Amino acid sequence: MQLQGNDGGSRNYLSSQELSVLLQSFGKTRSKEVFRQLFIFFAPRLKNYFLKGGASLELADELIQETFVIIWRKAELYDERKASASTWIYTIARNLRIDHFRKERRYLYKDDRFFSKELVVDETQFESHHQAQLSERVQKALPLLPAEQSKIIKLAFYEDASHSKIAQYLQLPLGTVKSRMRLALVRLRKLLKGVEP
Amino acid sequence: MINHHLSDETLWAYVTGSLPAGHALLVSCHLELCKACQGRLAEAEALAGALLQTSEQLNTSDELFERLLLRVESEKPSRSLSCISRPKPRQGVPSDLWGVLGQGYSGIKWKVVGPGIRQFVLPVESSEGEKARLLKLSPGYMTPEHSHHGSEMTLVLKGSFSDETGRYKVGDVQEADDLVHHQPVADTEEDCICLAVTDAPLAFKGLLPKLLQPFFGI
Ligand SMILES: [Zn+2]
Repeated sequence: MQLQGNDGGSRNYLSSQELSVLLQSFGKTRSKEVFRQLFIFFAPRLKNYFLKGGASLELADELIQETFVIIWRKAELYDERKASASTWIYTIARNLRIDHFRKERRYLYKDDRFFSKELVVDETQFESHHQAQLSERVQKALPLLPAEQSKIIKLAFYEDASHSKIAQYLQLPLGTVKSRMRLALVRLRKLLKGVEP
Repeated sequence: MINHHLSDETLWAYVTGSLPAGHALLVSCHLELCKACQGRLAEAEALAGALLQTSEQLNTSDELFERLLLRVESEKPSRSLSCISRPKPRQGVPSDLWGVLGQGYSGIKWKVVGPGIRQFVLPVESSEGEKARLLKLSPGYMTPEHSHHGSEMTLVLKGSFSDETGRYKVGDVQEADDLVHHQPVADTEEDCICLAVTDAPLAFKGLLPKLLQPFFGI
């Protein structure tokens, strides 16, 4: 699949379930070997994420390290009922990126909130089994989106581009950017429900 | 009961960290008040996590992991791992907004900007020409009818207002786009306090509103 891309043929893919088990196990055992496995899985993906977000090679390495320093410190707090391992790690990485590029936002996206113990959602609202399979489903569903829609979703994800910057970049009216993004997300939600696991 | 929620595209921008600061503030205030959107947020975050998990990979050096190990192993054993509970509104003020104001609504030094309209510009540093302010609408006054070049997001914090598009009560969000013309009016006995974030100057319709525009300072 194109999504797995540039891994030079070597398969570096683990399921959400496996990743969750790894992260929890690291939280309990503090095993360096498990820590290394998490690093092997996530570092190349984080590198892609940070570089596309505008970081230099050097800064990307630094941000990868900082992400893992936080994983090292906080893994014990990881709760698989709240988030998949990828979501948990994504949130750490995103907050670091925001801290780095947008000092003005320091008072938002607070880490302490993210590590809070209470369940963020009622389980009735967002079932965890759905969450466990989500990555696999996303992988199948994304290529089914029209190119212009998946592009617009990824622009916000990677480039840290606000709606108005995306509008400028694509030379589209702001309203069009928003409605396209809305359509893409609605479509994706339908696909995620419809695509067989 | 909240009837007007965040749009999908706004939630997605929030999750990806691509909202300007004032908009992000408004979103986090709504999330504090709205269970339904907390669920939708978790869903959007899960989507972002899945995108990371299935994304392209770029080679990292082995040496990077060695350096990381040196770094974490030299750390002192961590102090107590803090588990903080979710923020709750303080005296009816969402905690992130309280963080910006440093106080409740009663101590705010409002500035009159038009008949029945007062505002307080929030000290939210932001890129992209965005402006975040609290607006206080007194009952019985019409705000000038206006349309937008950019977008305007409004969150009701106290009281309620109505306009052509509906009625907005505490916790409700209005996202107005370029093409919306509207004329909000506080529709109870009570003053209506809103958090309003604009990302481009408002364009007022009609002569009198044009005269008022300088007072809005936008
Ligand atoms: Zn809501």
